[in-house]
Amino acid sequence: MPEKQIDRPGTDKGLSRRKLLTAGVAAGGALATGAVSAKAASTPDPLITEIQDWNRYLGDGVDANPYGMPSEFEKNVVRRDVAWLTADSKSSINFTPLHELDGIITPNGLCFERHHGGVAEINPVDHRLMINGLVDKPLVFTMEDLKRFPRENRVYFLECAANSGMEWRGAQLNGCQFTHGMVHNVMYTGIPLKHILNEAGVKASAKWLLPEGADASAMTRSLPIEKAMDDCLVAFKMNGEALRPEQGYPVRLVVPGWEGNMWIKWLRRIELGDAPWHQREETSKYTDLMANGKARRFTWEMDVKSVITNPSPQAPITHGKGQTVVTGVAWSGAGKIKRVDVSIDGGRNWKTARIDGPSLSKSIHRFYYDFEWDGSELFLQSRAIDEVGNVQPTKNELRAARGVNSIYHNNGIQTWHVKADGSAENVEIS
Amino acid sequence: MSKSLKLFAAIGLLLASTSLAQAQDADAGAKVFKKCKACHAVGDGARNRVGPHLNSVFGRKAASIEGFKYSKAMSVAGSGGLVWNDETLAAFLTKPRKMMKGTKMAFSGLKKEKDRANLLAFLKSFSPDAASAAAPEKPKKQEIAAAPAPTEPKAKPVAAKDAPIPEHGVFHLGRAALVEEVKAWDIDIRPDGQGLPTGRGTVSQGEPIYTENCAVCHGDFGEGTGRWPILAGGQNTLTDERPEKTIGSYWPYLSTVYDYIRRAMPFGDARSLSDDDVYAVTAYLLFLNDIVTDEEFELSNENFNNTRLPNEANFFADNRKEEPQNTARSEPCMTDCKPGKAEVTMRARVLDVTPDSKEGEGAGAIE
Repeated sequence: MPEKQIDRPGTDKGLSRRKLLTAGVAAGGALATGAVSAKAASTPDPLITEIQDWNRYLGDGVDANPYGMPSEFEKNVVRRDVAWLTADSKSSINFTPLHELDGIITPNGLCFERHHGGVAEINPVDHRLMINGLVDKPLVFTMEDLKRFPRENRVYFLECAANSGMEWRGAQLNGCQFTHGMVHNVMYTGIPLKHILNEAGVKASAKWLLPEGADASAMTRSLPIEKAMDDCLVAFKMNGEALRPEQGYPVRLVVPGWEGNMWIKWLRRIELGDAPWHQREETSKYTDLMANGKARRFTWEMDVKSVITNPSPQAPITHGKGQTVVTGVAWSGAGKIKRVDVSIDGGRNWKTARIDGPSLSKSIHRFYYDFEWDGSELFLQSRAIDEVGNVQPTKNELRAARGVNSIYHNNGIQTWHVKADGSAENVEIS
Repeated sequence: MSKSLKLFAAIGLLLASTSLAQAQDADAGAKVFKKCKACHAVGDGARNRVGPHLNSVFGRKAASIEGFKYSKAMSVAGSGGLVWNDETLAAFLTKPRKMMKGTKMAFSGLKKEKDRANLLAFLKSFSPDAASAAAPEKPKKQEIAAAPAPTEPKAKPVAAKDAPIPEHGVFHLGRAALVEEVKAWDIDIRPDGQGLPTGRGTVSQGEPIYTENCAVCHGDFGEGTGRWPILAGGQNTLTDERPEKTIGSYWPYLSTVYDYIRRAMPFGDARSLSDDDVYAVTAYLLFLNDIVTDEEFELSNENFNNTRLPNEANFFADNRKEEPQNTARSEPCMTDCKPGKAEVTMRARVLDVTPDSKEGEGAGAIE
């Protein structure tokens, strides 16, 4: 239970775990915190021999927090942003703290945010969804109408196309939260989009959809009808509760396996047409500039990808050598993850990791590699392979094919350099 | 008469026409403040953004926040003794550029007196010293904090038993959208011109509209300020180390410019420009990009499709599957895959760029 022991605040209540880690890393080692791992004891541990406050006095009763929140000792487990990435917080992004999570589900309050016009605040009673364009009968739905359709529950990852986009030119950000945190994995409750479209009657000439948001950017993307009729959902719950405002409350589009920008939040309208609209977010943005100056467009599917979340720069090894858990996440827009390999020597040799937890199509998978660390430096990498046979490429393979200016769709293999003191750094290697 | 004296004379005139008898509602003001949020922050931890933070703005001397780069006009007014209070703020908010020619604040103004009064009530709740300044009503913040635990809202069953079930579709849900409703929301435009509203505007009409509404972020010539998007220039840079992706250098279709301005700009005050204004601004952006050169060029729904953007032909469909790393389908190597020991070739450049840095390599990568 090393994790538990690190989290314990110890005698110095003012020193948070985050501070400890930062201090440890800054000092060139995380040894300061290594002492909490259970070692042979010569003197009795007062935490065992003395009666602790929480063992003597009563705690809060029920309803102290009508909506329960994480322990105060977890207060550093939060989304974080990188201020210089964008001009303004209303059209910006923050990152999921992947290194603090386990399993496959992302808690609602930690799902990264990306807005183009701030978070729309909409009373569900005031929300409408319109279907118009090439349909037999344009329709308007209230939220109450939507909740009368048959619904489904599905777990899907949502990844921003720009995830890892800062790493094209080389290792830049120190932490998987920043290099890979534009992803989350949530169980949605929603209505198959085809049910709603069929209600309006789709004309044979309709080939494209234009879903639109009700926010101040009135976000729009063109979506081919095959995808709409395949697995898209119109979702109003995430992980069992109402969508969070920042995730599109009261209703959003779910476009499994495809880039997050298409998952229109605050979904208020879907138009059907016979050609794509070439909106701002599929021309000026979310197109992939190649080295020759030409650009790919409509690069919807998210490629097979993985990253080791622990250890990583924000989560160094603090327990010293011996039994060590390496863990991470893997996903693919093409389906399930078939296998994840882990290398501790920078890709010279690979061992197949253990996938644990549900293996679902277009969902995050959790993998573990348990090994005995000899205390020498490590070059940790993970390589995911999906059920269609797509293999996660190296960053250099991607650069050779695309150059370094494409911003989007960087699914290259990540390397963490773990030093003998347990600290970790984002590097690129020979 | 000195500059500042002239200014005060102007303020005096405006004040005469600005009544403050309106009842003020801080909650309603919070909604009005959404128009300001793109540039101004207020409340705990508010920092200067495009505009200065607005904590304790009541009683504050104009242009007095250290470190914020005010316009010359605002600085002159501040050193001339302009202090923000109900009267001066109301006058400024009515039409910022009228009261203060040369202000950097691009916002065109709050025309409704009620909006101004409510906004001031809202801002006052973040100005502890404003209590003496005739605050008619304390904001409801404390009341909310002290409110009793939420009671369960009761769902109201609607007596709709008698309403006929519609006949459309499979589940017979939803109702017919009215023509007016579709018209109100369906404002998208395609590259073939489908969806363009009737209207027109010239380059020279567009310039003042752009200067007033757009230049604060995008710069007077579309060069961009701070990390806001660059709109003009950048031709022939797409193969450079630092490509500049502008309307003229990168965007494939002019329809996208019109569509996006109409749906989402100006940032923080979307849908405030008329269709003709948007034609004029679009024409002006063509001019800034040297795609048209005549200042009297008029863009309209009739000639819209005659203009093509230079980079249209340089987009191609997704072909990632054909890239070398995706076509090699052999089993991935498991042992002795690379010669020699791994050596670090590149590190995260500056360790401290990570959470709180101000500058970085990928600045402006995401907009």
